[in-house]
Amino acid sequence: MHPVAWFIWIGAAALVPLVTRDPLYLVIDFAITCVVVDAIRTQPFTEAAPVFAAPLRFAAFAVLVGALFNGLISHVGETILLRLPDAIPLIGGPLTAESLVYGAINGLILATLFSAFAVLTLAVPVRDLIAYLPRAFYPIAVVSAIAATFVPSSVRQFQQVREAQAIRGHRMRGLRDWLPLFMPVLIGGLERALQLAEAMTARGFAGGNGQPESQGPAVRRGSGTVAQIVLVLGLGSVLVGGVLRLLPGGARWFGLDLSLPLLVLGTAATLWVVWRAGSHVHHTRYRRSTWTGVESACAVLSVVAVLPILILTLRGEAGYNPYPRLALPGFDPLLGLPLLGLLAPIWGLQARRNGTHSAEGADGIGVTTGEGRRL
Amino acid sequence: MITGDRLGFRYPEAPQLVLSEVSFAVAAGDFVIVAGPSGAGKSTLLRSLNGLVPHFTGGTISGRVIVDGLEPVVVGPQRMCRHVGFVFQDPESQFVMDRVEDEIAFALENAALAPGEMRVRVAEVLDLLDLTALRERSLSTLSGGEKQRVSIAAALALRPRVLVLDEPTSQLDPESAEDVLAAVARLNAERGLTIVLAEHRLERVLAFANRMIYVPGGGHPAMVGTPRDVVGAIDLAPPVSKLGKALGWSPLPITTEEGRAFIRERAFQSAVAAARIGTAPVPYLTAQSLDVAYAPRGNGGTRVVSDVSLSLAKGEVTVLVGRNGAGKSTLLKSLVGLVKPQRGQIRLGGRDITAAPVAEICRDVAYLPQDPNALLFADTVMEELQITLRNHGIAPSEAPVPAAALLAELGLADKAGAYPRDLSVGERQRVALAAMMVTRPGVVLLDEPTRGLDYEAKGRLAGLIRQWRDAGLAILLVTHDVELAATVADRVLMMAGGKIEAQGDPHDVLTSATGFAPQIAQLFPGSGWLTVAEALQGLCGDGPARTGLGRAGG
Amino acid sequence: MVDPALSHSRARFLRWAIYGLTSLIGIVAFVYPFFLPALASAGGSAHAVDSPLFLGLLGGFSLIALLLEAQGDATSDAKRTALLGVLVGLNAVLGFLETTIPGPGGFSPIFFLIIVGGYIYGGRFGFLLGALTLFVSALITGGIGPWLPYRMLVSGWIGMGAALVTSLNRVLRLQGTRWELVPLALFGGLWGLLFGALMDLWFWPFAIGPDTQHWQAGVGLGETLKRFAAFYVATSFLWDSIRAVGTIAMLLLFGSPTLRTFRRFARRFAFTVVTPAPGVQPDPLTVREGHA
Repeated sequence: MHPVAWFIWIGAAALVPLVTRDPLYLVIDFAITCVVVDAIRTQPFTEAAPVFAAPLRFAAFAVLVGALFNGLISHVGETILLRLPDAIPLIGGPLTAESLVYGAINGLILATLFSAFAVLTLAVPVRDLIAYLPRAFYPIAVVSAIAATFVPSSVRQFQQVREAQAIRGHRMRGLRDWLPLFMPVLIGGLERALQLAEAMTARGFAGGNGQPESQGPAVRRGSGTVAQIVLVLGLGSVLVGGVLRLLPGGARWFGLDLSLPLLVLGTAATLWVVWRAGSHVHHTRYRRSTWTGVESACAVLSVVAVLPILILTLRGEAGYNPYPRLALPGFDPLLGLPLLGLLAPIWGLQARRNGTHSAEGADGIGVTTGEGRRL
Repeated sequence: MITGDRLGFRYPEAPQLVLSEVSFAVAAGDFVIVAGPSGAGKSTLLRSLNGLVPHFTGGTISGRVIVDGLEPVVVGPQRMCRHVGFVFQDPESQFVMDRVEDEIAFALENAALAPGEMRVRVAEVLDLLDLTALRERSLSTLSGGEKQRVSIAAALALRPRVLVLDEPTSQLDPESAEDVLAAVARLNAERGLTIVLAEHRLERVLAFANRMIYVPGGGHPAMVGTPRDVVGAIDLAPPVSKLGKALGWSPLPITTEEGRAFIRERAFQSAVAAARIGTAPVPYLTAQSLDVAYAPRGNGGTRVVSDVSLSLAKGEVTVLVGRNGAGKSTLLKSLVGLVKPQRGQIRLGGRDITAAPVAEICRDVAYLPQDPNALLFADTVMEELQITLRNHGIAPSEAPVPAAALLAELGLADKAGAYPRDLSVGERQRVALAAMMVTRPGVVLLDEPTRGLDYEAKGRLAGLIRQWRDAGLAILLVTHDVELAATVADRVLMMAGGKIEAQGDPHDVLTSATGFAPQIAQLFPGSGWLTVAEALQGLCGDGPARTGLGRAGG
Repeated sequence: MVDPALSHSRARFLRWAIYGLTSLIGIVAFVYPFFLPALASAGGSAHAVDSPLFLGLLGGFSLIALLLEAQGDATSDAKRTALLGVLVGLNAVLGFLETTIPGPGGFSPIFFLIIVGGYIYGGRFGFLLGALTLFVSALITGGIGPWLPYRMLVSGWIGMGAALVTSLNRVLRLQGTRWELVPLALFGGLWGLLFGALMDLWFWPFAIGPDTQHWQAGVGLGETLKRFAAFYVATSFLWDSIRAVGTIAMLLLFGSPTLRTFRRFARRFAFTVVTPAPGVQPDPLTVREGHA
């Protein structure tokens, strides 16, 4: 599937644990991410999956540790299971069922986030992740691409250096003996950077946002100032908005809650600066995946799936709190059932796999009919 | 297409000019070779064609260059990249992306081409360089030749009319080099692309070129003309041309093909060169039926040395040849203990060292790795020597060979205080050698030491090898460079598929194997001659002394 | 035309305004958990619920603004771009080694290069080196998650802060002497501890839970701080001390040769080209040496 479709799905799946603490919704969300992870892993993937721990095992660990940790540290709640001697610092005191449950939910939240983002690493290759950085960050995308390309070769170089030092009698006896291994790799890296820079220059890389030199750096700096001013103003309003939120009651001024509008204003300003910086980037992107109806459907389903829970949470109605006395969490089918829409990628993967042959045929002769994507 | 008018250049902080008053003209569709010793200004000349000199390097330029109607010095490399494609020495260090097609598209992205147009261009150059099947591959999985073809494709993506290549084959093995040069020649012949190519190994490229620029360095004037004229006037020449010069052949042959014409005309009497006389060699380092299984990191494959026995004798140079992946490097590594054999025994001076630690073996067995840069990290050359001594727990005053004397022997006497990484490729290699030789080992193993060396540095290396042999060291040289092998070898081993397929006198082994025969052996099949000197001796009954062509000249 | 001196000072002001504001926002984001109990008792439970989201937003903005600010300068030409890319890659390998070869405790070799890089090549370069090291390692090891912007921001701060040590050493005239490593090592040790503490702050609301406190009567800011201190000592102090000591050791042991190498190469990476106007005979075109 198209990386952006995955970004949307992950955003949706990761939003659930960020907005609700109701374990029932969390469990549903977690189960769905596990199923999707499994569906991706059984795909015929050409690239080896990166380091990845099975989400279920991580979840068991996180829930257990979360429960124990919170249970031992926090001593509130009315259902006291046992009492540790008060003499023990920090963990001494009552151990309550509420704090255990609260901790377990913490663990579940982390596990859900973890497995939602695991999908990202599994489904989208590193170079696509870099290619889909916003346009404004083109220089950063180039730096990241260089770095990612350099990683395997520097591992190889490290191996060579290890051998070269070994044959002049080098032995690992202490921390200092890392120096003969580290320095040649570092120096080799610096030399390589110079050669690479030359090769990039010879292929028209100009640095910065890639404006042709003829327009001159002065033009760039001048137009940058407006963006910088907007950025400063935007940051200022985010800061003030954020501080206002921290003051109990201080967020109101003449009866108006100022913090939210200020935050929105700051967000808008920052996004505008990013957009503007992007529109000044004088580059195009080669790498792009095709966006089909399958992706649209997946994206829409993902968003629709989490919309109810988001709305109700913002209104403060979907929370769950075990304190002061443990109670069963509420479950509203109208919130829980739409979550199943997050299963959309399983169908999407299937649909794309069936449609792959025709799409790749077109790709092979270098003609793409899809709309060029600008980010 | 290209004109240079009294071009001169000085690097920042450099005391003298690297180029001075160089003038030349290149027509569209020409294939130009730029030759000359290292540091003479070949790279500078090439870089002035796309504005990297002076825009990337800094420095002071004088005179004028015009390429495709533009002045690179004025418009800079960013605009010139649409007119001049540039390929560098080391394919590894010019890659920005990690996949073939992304790498090719990099220049197109910089030029802000529309995505549709990009796809067309990428497909076009992929096809042009026969890379279509590799487009999705990760660059780290390609062979050296394939990588260099990707670099060429990436340089051509913007459809320049000139392709400049700066020693594109110096880091490659002979097969990959052939592969790359054939692709370049095809671009020139079929597409009419103007080619400007710097190359050390003239014998590889003279056949394709119709122009040659020789940059002698040291303030001497450059020579420009047809390859035949320029080769006739300079010392750097392939063996066939040297022979032709010595025998007064005209027009001077510059390829083996052209040389054969002269031989068909006259009937030379074939005579086997006299076998070298010497005392019976005493084995010093011996390996008995070695099996080495070894999986290099990140490569997945398992390269094997199987049932190899060999012995290196003091005062003898053994040359090991073989194609890529034949197991030569692995064999070398197992001799110094970097890779432990699964089976077999290695003895050094009668002692079993099969299981000994590397740090112990390497005191008596020097090993020069392919990339000497992996060795060097100290602030001065002298310090590099002291680091090795310290590793072995030897005080500098007790060094088996005084550091200053060793440096003098290696021609580095005036470089003791220099930063090793500032030196030339040949000097760096000799510093690495010095760092290995400071313990005065009895055995020297050299892995592909001619990579990136010019004729002069190669000549020095051959001289050192002979000097050490005469001093009684056992030397094993792994090389693809058959001309060097022909000049120094006392004995040749040929490896294929992890086994030693042939061994014996170089005059037997090197002349019989296709692909490993030096030019002279190709010219006179069956004669047993390997070098210019031997051929002259055989043809004229004349010693090398009179013609002035020693073995080093091959 | 704008007076160049004026536009220069204006650019300087704007730059520092961005640094100042992002630092303040970052601080607000990081101290936010301390205010949660007080907020909650004031009846703002809705705030407590969406706090992780809000925190992510604040951290994200600081990061975006600083990346935008830093990238223009730190990647102004191919040389700096390539240098940054190679150093990020190298550092990501070091970080990768850390995850595959479990070292002692919280020891991480990545801070060494970030600090030295920022010290030599300036704050913006250091910021990107720090932030992108964590970004690229996360890409390689699959460590992407909502925590990533925070980690990037903090390690970027480390690289940026190293430039302040440069100024300090300049004032103290320590540059090039053997004492110049002392302030660097102190800086590295301090951040070794601080990095862990800041990461804990992000994690803390999850671990303890904002609601826990407001069920205990009279929990104020002081008590919250005390609890955090206890939490920190219990969970990560030992861990972070190992990181701090490791970074100090690396700076002291490898600092001088690395600085020497960087300085040697700094000259090759920096000079300015004087381009003649089109059509003018470029004879001779001179290029001046100088540090960008």
